[in-house]
Amino acid sequence: MKLLAKRALVLLVLVALLTIGLVCFVVRYFNQASTWVQYPANKHLFNNQAKLTVSGTIYDRSGQVLLEMVDGVTKYHRDKTVRTAMLHATGDTDNNIAVGAQVAFREHIIGWNLLNGVYRLQNQPNRSANLTLTLDANLCAAAYKALNGRKGAVGVYNYQTGEILCMVSAPSFDPEQPPNISHYPEKYEGVYINRLLSAVYPPGSIFKIVTAAAALENLPEDKLYHCEGKMQIGSDTVTCTGIHGDIALEQALAHSCNAAFAQIALELGDAVLQKYANLAGFNSYLVVDGIKTAVGRVDVRNAAAVDLAWAGIGQYTNTANPLNFMAFMGAIANQGVLISPRLIADNYGFFASSQKKQVLSAETAVKLGALMRNNTLSVYGEYNFKGLELCAKSGTAEVGEGKRPHAWFTGFLAREDYPLAFVVLIENGGIGSQTAASVARRVLQTAVSTGK
Amino acid sequence: MVDFLDKVKQLLLQDLSSFFQWLGKLKSVFAHLAAVGDYYSLLVRWLLPVLAVIIFLWCILPLLRDRKNQTTWGYLYLMNGIRVPIQSWECMLGRGKNSDIMINQPFISRNHAVLTYHNGVWSIADLGSKGGITVNGARVEEQHRLAYGDVISLAGIEMALLPADIVPAEEGQEEQVSDNSGVVNSTGTFTLLLIFIFQLLGALQIIITRSAAVFPMLPVTVFALMLAQGLHYHVLRWLQFENLELVLLSYFLCGLNVFIVASAAPHSLYKQLVAILLGMAVFTIFSLLIRKIGRAMKLKYFLLAGALVLLVLNLTLGEIHFGAKNWINLGFITFQPMELVKVAFVLAGTATLDRLLTTRNMAAFIGFTGACMLTLVLIRDFGSAVVFFGAFVVMAFMQSGDLRSLALVLAGALFGGFAVVAFVPYVTKRFAVWGKVWQYAGTTGYQQTRTMIAAASGGLLGVGGGSGYLVNVAAADTDLVFGVLCEEWGLLIALLAVLVIVFFAVYTVIIIKSSLSSFYAIAACGAATIFLLQTALNVLGSVDILPLTGVTIPFVSNGGTSMLTSWALLAFIYSVK
Ligand SMILES: [Zn+2]
Repeated sequence: MKLLAKRALVLLVLVALLTIGLVCFVVRYFNQASTWVQYPANKHLFNNQAKLTVSGTIYDRSGQVLLEMVDGVTKYHRDKTVRTAMLHATGDTDNNIAVGAQVAFREHIIGWNLLNGVYRLQNQPNRSANLTLTLDANLCAAAYKALNGRKGAVGVYNYQTGEILCMVSAPSFDPEQPPNISHYPEKYEGVYINRLLSAVYPPGSIFKIVTAAAALENLPEDKLYHCEGKMQIGSDTVTCTGIHGDIALEQALAHSCNAAFAQIALELGDAVLQKYANLAGFNSYLVVDGIKTAVGRVDVRNAAAVDLAWAGIGQYTNTANPLNFMAFMGAIANQGVLISPRLIADNYGFFASSQKKQVLSAETAVKLGALMRNNTLSVYGEYNFKGLELCAKSGTAEVGEGKRPHAWFTGFLAREDYPLAFVVLIENGGIGSQTAASVARRVLQTAVSTGK
Repeated sequence: MVDFLDKVKQLLLQDLSSFFQWLGKLKSVFAHLAAVGDYYSLLVRWLLPVLAVIIFLWCILPLLRDRKNQTTWGYLYLMNGIRVPIQSWECMLGRGKNSDIMINQPFISRNHAVLTYHNGVWSIADLGSKGGITVNGARVEEQHRLAYGDVISLAGIEMALLPADIVPAEEGQEEQVSDNSGVVNSTGTFTLLLIFIFQLLGALQIIITRSAAVFPMLPVTVFALMLAQGLHYHVLRWLQFENLELVLLSYFLCGLNVFIVASAAPHSLYKQLVAILLGMAVFTIFSLLIRKIGRAMKLKYFLLAGALVLLVLNLTLGEIHFGAKNWINLGFITFQPMELVKVAFVLAGTATLDRLLTTRNMAAFIGFTGACMLTLVLIRDFGSAVVFFGAFVVMAFMQSGDLRSLALVLAGALFGGFAVVAFVPYVTKRFAVWGKVWQYAGTTGYQQTRTMIAAASGGLLGVGGGSGYLVNVAAADTDLVFGVLCEEWGLLIALLAVLVIVFFAVYTVIIIKSSLSSFYAIAACGAATIFLLQTALNVLGSVDILPLTGVTIPFVSNGGTSMLTSWALLAFIYSVK
């Protein structure tokens, strides 16, 4: 039977084909099963309205329940203000908020894993499906209240550990009583967008920190700039808020002198300014436990002189993502080392832990911090931020079209016990050092009084 | 009197209330039972995959072990004193590498002659050799009967045929052989026990989950199945069948089949049970019938005639299910005729070595294949057409060994396949969705996406028998069984079920070396090909690696005809040795 035994080897070709097919499937399975299982037709996890019927409990950092599933019904925090303030963190029941935990961390909260699938003992959600966020419910509520109905975003995070303590985006609504959004298009404009993570705004004067960082490393420190209230560049004019005369970097930053920063930008040149913008996190996104932030853009390569000057002031085509800029503040506070922000506290090795990245030299970071400290001492007023050791910069970003400018206030606390960086943005909020600073004051004072 | 009635009423009320209290307690007992059931599933979902792996290994390891205990049917004494044992019913003699008895002499042709021992009769056939053959000095033209003691001369090289019973006692191999088989059989009983445990634990899981829906069908079916398996196994041992691990693996698959039917279509459990029992009977009878090559040949022509009748019946009486007209309803029974035709088809492709090396005539086989393919195209069962065609190609290659015509036929088929894909709308639709089922998740990709969702939901260990949702999808118990297995019993067990089928094919390749006749070798390859192709099309089709076709997994899918056919085809693989 040697002859036929040899010919029978043709069967092995078929065996190989079936085996290859199986291996393909298994590889796909290992890579994609977590996606397949989340398809809303999966009756193990969703009801006929495609709403999740299974979820682990989501806690804030102090153990308050932000979201739990009781008999297939989603329950949020008991307090309405907290529910509303944390809407963008937990997500809404209809899953319109793409970066909310119910969507972004769905794989985790449904308790699926490769070994057990969706199997649940006694139909109870797996304990491993529970999720503790780094957020502080009370701090978020305080921030939401401080915004007082204005649209904007507030972020606070620990620049040593990366934990985000406060993430608030307004407008918002109570997820247990979702309003009819289409009836109030103005009030709920972009309500499903988490403005801290997923939006970009013109940075205005807060960008001067980036320009200042470049100046510290590339220009003589005792160099004086000259301000006559405006500056002529070719046929264009860069206007300033006042007439500052001969002014050094420290005072230029404190008084947010446009003329001085226009001169700095021109002296640095496009390549250097571009380099420092990139270091500060522009033109790239951060990944917060798998969620990519929006990308703020700065592109001054080959820009005309006047454009470069405006860019140095933060008013060219620049855009900034609030969280990304807050992380840059954290890097300044943390000797130039940026600890990427994160939202999930219990790490189980399930999510990648915080990334570290040196974005400025320690020396520059310390000098920059001192400049920002001086801002508070000489302009914003220490009495407003008593005990906070506040280092900050305000911004008032013109948006044109007769609208009020966006108000920014960002910086950090130079305190060992409260290593916090923050950002406040109020859409059409007016003068940053007034409106945004006052929101920041209330949020930061809550942060240091209620614990870390 | 009124007092008395009042008292009775009071007593009755009291009794009633205590009865309801008792009922309430009973309810809490049931609640406890449900809790116990939950912990049961927690345990069983770990236990079953472990058991399945042990069963699989315990079955395949004895079969993979090198067995040297071959029966010797006679001896060829060469004149230089060398005695060559003849261990199969068909031996090729020649100078070539493929000769079973290699005679390295210049005048001998590469393929010189075939020595056969059919139905107790020895004969020798000339394969058109240059040197020719003489028996006792007389020239052999085509074929010549031989008697013991005859002197055969191949181109002048002389040898004598002698009977097997003159073996000197000194070798004593036979006793060792029986020792070995004794060991094998005892592990077989142990494996059977494990299979029983597997089936009991799994069925209990479904009963706990589904309770009323499967009661009393599932308990009855499982006990009957276990009884039948025990009986069947011991009958086979009594009939001195060897290598029963192959049968044990089929029991294992039948158990999974019962699980799937219980979960997806509990009302057809009894029907499926009957099909399994009939299948076991068919396997036994078939294996006995084809033990003798003469009977096997008679069976072949008998079944071919029956198959032609079935083809005609299918074309005239066929009923349409899921797009294909592949059912016949005789009032008291419905069945899929093309499933049964597979058995005859495999037999049609067989030939004994002397025949296939002398006549090289495949006209009848090609004709029969043509008739089957035509029928399948007419009834629009394209999945089965692929299976038949694949089996044809493999068996034709086994007969001819001609790679060039094989390539030609495959190219032609590819062309025909393209034509079908392009011009048959229902196939075009299936192909259009292939590889992007998620874009058509609500329409033509419905079954595949649901299968993948189910598979993902099950993880490696499954959510437990009876707890799946895929069974609610149409044809889940036939076309999507792989998904049902993944969801309820876990990826491990599902993969293992496929590996059993793969093993059937690998075993076939290994065992053909010691096949007695090329008849068995070809039949086994045909059967293994059908098993492999059906499994590949079903499993890979349901998870979008291949386009979805409506074919079944042998033994595992729900379906009486499919079950019967699987057992009959297994008989071919089993009978190789
Ligand atoms: Zn100025």
